[in-house]
Amino acid sequence: MPALAIEVRGVRRVYSSKKAPIVALDGIDLEVPTGEFFGLLGPNGAGKTTLIKILTTLLSPSSGTASVFGFDVEKDTKKIRRIMNMVAGGEQSGYGILSVREQLWMFTQFYGLAGAEGWRRVDELIEAVGLAEQRLQRVSTLSTGQRQKMNLARGLLNDPWILFLDEPTLGLDVAAARSLRELIVEWRAAVPGRTILLTTHYMAEADELCERIAIVDHGRILAIGSPDELKRRVQRESIFRIELDRLEGGAQALGRLPGVVSATAAAGNEADTDRQSVVMNLVLEDDGALGRVVGDLADRGSHILGLRKSEPTLEDVFVELVGRGFDEAGTDEPGPSAEAIA
Amino acid sequence: MTAMAGPAATGIDGARFDPSRTEGRGLADTLRSFKVAVLLGWKLEANWTDPFLFFIYSVAKPLSSALILVVMLEVIGGPAGKAFRPFVIVGSALWAFVLNGVAGLAWSVLEDRERYRVLKYVYVSPADFLTVLVGRGVARIGVGLAGVVITLMVGVIALGVPFDIGRVDWPMLVAVSALGLASIIGLGLLMAGVCIQTRQESWSYPEAFAGALFLVTGAVFPLVVLPAPVQIVGLLTPLTWWIAGTRQALFPGGPGSVGGPGSAFASTFGHPDPSAGEIVLALLVTGTVVTLAAVAVFRLSDRRAKRTGLYDRTTGS
Repeated sequence: MPALAIEVRGVRRVYSSKKAPIVALDGIDLEVPTGEFFGLLGPNGAGKTTLIKILTTLLSPSSGTASVFGFDVEKDTKKIRRIMNMVAGGEQSGYGILSVREQLWMFTQFYGLAGAEGWRRVDELIEAVGLAEQRLQRVSTLSTGQRQKMNLARGLLNDPWILFLDEPTLGLDVAAARSLRELIVEWRAAVPGRTILLTTHYMAEADELCERIAIVDHGRILAIGSPDELKRRVQRESIFRIELDRLEGGAQALGRLPGVVSATAAAGNEADTDRQSVVMNLVLEDDGALGRVVGDLADRGSHILGLRKSEPTLEDVFVELVGRGFDEAGTDEPGPSAEAIA
Repeated sequence: MTAMAGPAATGIDGARFDPSRTEGRGLADTLRSFKVAVLLGWKLEANWTDPFLFFIYSVAKPLSSALILVVMLEVIGGPAGKAFRPFVIVGSALWAFVLNGVAGLAWSVLEDRERYRVLKYVYVSPADFLTVLVGRGVARIGVGLAGVVITLMVGVIALGVPFDIGRVDWPMLVAVSALGLASIIGLGLLMAGVCIQTRQESWSYPEAFAGALFLVTGAVFPLVVLPAPVQIVGLLTPLTWWIAGTRQALFPGGPGSVGGPGSAFASTFGHPDPSAGEIVLALLVTGTVVTLAAVAVFRLSDRRAKRTGLYDRTTGS
């Protein structure tokens, strides 16, 4: 099995439009190792879906090369299609008049499973995604969340080596989205080597699920790394919020300790006369300095009532990289008038 | 920017990731995809409502069309019109196949993309997309068969169309039916190739195309009444020979649609009416050309759609 599940070299994708060509991907290079849960994070129109379409053989790149498990997306489409699958969110897909079971079985046949094996696989997956009660129900009667679970089951029918998830929780309520995320994590954890490429514009989703993330905007990868690595790009110091029963010598005393960049009372702390505790914001050079602070506080007879590390979010990373937030960054995917320039 | 490779996966089950999985089983996979596409097409067409409405949709429509034509024939042709009843009934009945096959196959593309939103999932499966569409087209033709049979039966039983089962030229009927239905699928593929390039507003294209064929193929009137250039177009269309062959096989000696004094056929070939052999040969040649051209157009359309990103582009997207 190849070490790389995905290898993308200089992939560019341009759509023509009435106004001006739209550059959806602007020379992307990317490697995703086999077995990784990889995320593409970016606002609408960043190029995430376009990259997934190319990798799933639905769309040709304008230039550059891309391969999945060593198979070229342009030359080896059939081979890729046998070992991958995809699930997209935010859409009501499915043959509405078929039952859930029938719908899934149809796809087992497109993937070449023998009839009985296909039914067995369908029933297993229906059970696994929690649609046993709806198995004989028509697809058109399913709720959005149930339909997306059915789509996930469809995506797993061929036991793919790699699963492409394009905004899979888009449009789902909180409970349905959580349930779907759990199913995805369980599926991947069940067999080492299964690879997932997830696109999302939900930062928390990417943070929770992905081992590595590429932040994408305007068709380019701006940064790539684990969520922690990305966050460290914007926060080199460690920030803690600490609550004490009392503090002898005040904040200045803490600020003089080695490794402490600053120690300040948390906003509103001084004005709260009823408060029986002291809340401080500590900025440390690194986490290692925390031990010295804790030791010093113990020497002063202070008791720690609470301690919380203040983490930057992936949105902070995006703002740092792009200079604006997600909400400001979004542009629509190429519209009906936009076509590709080969 | 090139991403640095992350930690290598360990403990990978080699059997589960067997490289042989990337290889297909050739014809067996194709047949499986075809069979399930036929089944899917049948379920989508026949299972969408209750049997009564299905009857209305697939039987009453072609039957009423045939009856309207027969009445028109009686009014315009008077007593002489009775001789043309088999002509009209056969042509009108067979048109259910054309509508279901040509328009239905193209509608499969539009429905899967616009209504069911599954086209991209079918497309990125290992199943051959062309095979799947042909299967859907065959199912549509199967649905049309009910209308054809019932229209013919009504023609014979209720309208007094003189039908003698002992005179049916069965070999010819089988030959022209097989070649004709294959040609319909070919024309359907052609329209599917066109519809892949268009969007929702193209629902009417296949029906318009079938309507145009209705005029030039001798379905309800002989070609000889048309201007010579239009007759030539008709002679180059396999459906013309299919309808003529079916008429000749079911009602030997009855009025034909292709030849006749002063027809383009007569002036081209030097005799007024085509023989059974000529009809089958003409159907074979025109059908083969149209089907090969349709496959080529479909493949070109497929490549262009993949290049331009049309497979998941829905109206308003």
